[in-house]
Amino acid sequence: MATAALIAAAAASPSAHRLDEYLQASRVSLERTGVSLEIDLTPGANVADSIIALIDHDGDNTISPSEAERYGRVVLAEIVLELDGRPVALTLDRVEAPPLEEMRHGLGAIRVRARGGIELRMRFRRELHFQNNHHPESSVYLVNALMPADGGISVVSQTRDGKQRDARIEYSVTPEWPKYVYWPALGVAALFFVYRRRSRSSAL
Amino acid sequence: MSDRASKILLAVLLALGTIGVSTRQRTSTPLTTAPATGATARAVAAAEAFLATLDAGQRAKANVDFNEKTRTIWSNLPVGTTMQVGATERNGLRLGEMTPAQEKAALALVATTLSRDGYQKAMEVTDADEVLEVRSAPTRKPGAPIRFGRAFYYVAILGKPSTTDRWMLQYGGHHLAINVIFAGRDSVLTPTHTGAQPATYSVDGRTVRPLGDENDKAFALLNALNAEQQKQAILAFEVRNLVLGPGVDGKTIAPEGVRASTFTPAQRKMLMDVAHEWVGILGDEAATAKMKEIESGIADTYFAWAGPTTNGKGAYFRIHGPGVFIEYAPQGQGDNNIDHIHTIYRDPTNDYADRISKR
Repeated sequence: MATAALIAAAAASPSAHRLDEYLQASRVSLERTGVSLEIDLTPGANVADSIIALIDHDGDNTISPSEAERYGRVVLAEIVLELDGRPVALTLDRVEAPPLEEMRHGLGAIRVRARGGIELRMRFRRELHFQNNHHPESSVYLVNALMPADGGISVVSQTRDGKQRDARIEYSVTPEWPKYVYWPALGVAALFFVYRRRSRSSAL
Repeated sequence: MSDRASKILLAVLLALGTIGVSTRQRTSTPLTTAPATGATARAVAAAEAFLATLDAGQRAKANVDFNEKTRTIWSNLPVGTTMQVGATERNGLRLGEMTPAQEKAALALVATTLSRDGYQKAMEVTDADEVLEVRSAPTRKPGAPIRFGRAFYYVAILGKPSTTDRWMLQYGGHHLAINVIFAGRDSVLTPTHTGAQPATYSVDGRTVRPLGDENDKAFALLNALNAEQQKQAILAFEVRNLVLGPGVDGKTIAPEGVRASTFTPAQRKMLMDVAHEWVGILGDEAATAKMKEIESGIADTYFAWAGPTTNGKGAYFRIHGPGVFIEYAPQGQGDNNIDHIHTIYRDPTNDYADRISKR
């Protein structure tokens, strides 16, 4: 395609970017021993400086690892995560922050990864409640349940509010004990079968 | 326990072992493939022809290892930004670094791999970015690292082009990441990202909408659903971006929306037509096979929608089935949300041809 033709076609255009919104995309996953949480936070170009001000405490125009970690903790403190009505305490795994210039262009995402331990209980239905209260003034949200890697856990339903700030995810959890019982039971049954056959043979 | 009862117990336990107990995950059956002829052989020849036009330094850039790290280096973002996977530079050699003969050979490789419509779509996305470059250049600060335009689209060959072993072709830049993985006679297009900004532009008086058919066919499908189907399809919340976009590899979300098992044959055909906008980017032979696979799982495929139901305004939609995951997400805000689109096409079971490679 000739560049000249495209130049002729190009007219002044308003930006088609998300400029004054702070996109916060969360993904949650329930496992047998914990809940993992991923949050990708992307400030639009027009709100980037206000977000940077929250992170770059010393104002040196870079985000140090400790500043990123501190911000990650701020974000997590404003997340509500409950399993069956009980709070899940989140532990920060890591935070990755992009160069500030990319954030100022609306192209850089801060990635927060966290995990919460849960208490193992014999329940077939479990409900996870997630609510994101971080920076609500200019934010847009996504929250989704990841399909659990454990085939014994499945997502039954997800309900969210209109902005996706608040979500309730219902899971079905199959107890793990059948797979531990299966092989011993098969062994006992096989031994019993052999024993019965031998008993019958010797009786004849 | 009687002898008969013990036999029954043993049979039940063996049967359970065969099908797997409920807590065990289902495993997919690896595909069996024959040595490549046809499409893969043509792609190998085109790849070798492209590499033959390059000097040693260029070849080292254009042809890199195929491994779990390099294959994930692709993005919707423009050159000069850190990609979601942390890399700052795409794989390969960019068009702006090539001589006209080298560029011709590079694009011939892309054209050989894709369908005619798929190649046209890839070029229209590239041209849209050239329009963006023309628009943004006057206000760009000198030395600014973020760049748009055709010169910043890359062609990369990952691994050694082969008719038997796995290798990969990447073509992409801002708003485009065509990832084709070859594995013997099979080729796979997932994960692939398309986007457009501007989503509508004109060249020589002709209006071009690189992702216009995706949008229009989806609106037509939504409006072909009955009230009950629409109620299930339309999500009760806004969806402002891709959920499994670039950088979110290896994850699957719970399906939502209306299940296509409720669709009439005509509605199913419309759904397949929407999916074909992505699947059909790849060469016809592979696309036909993939469409059959998607059709075989259509009863377990979901269609979800968020946003306005009248064409002309931006709306998010998703197709999610056993072997397909497609999202279309307008990126802007307010009334100006239709001129910047992101999409993603994944296969929850076979991104990067991982299922095929397990054979």
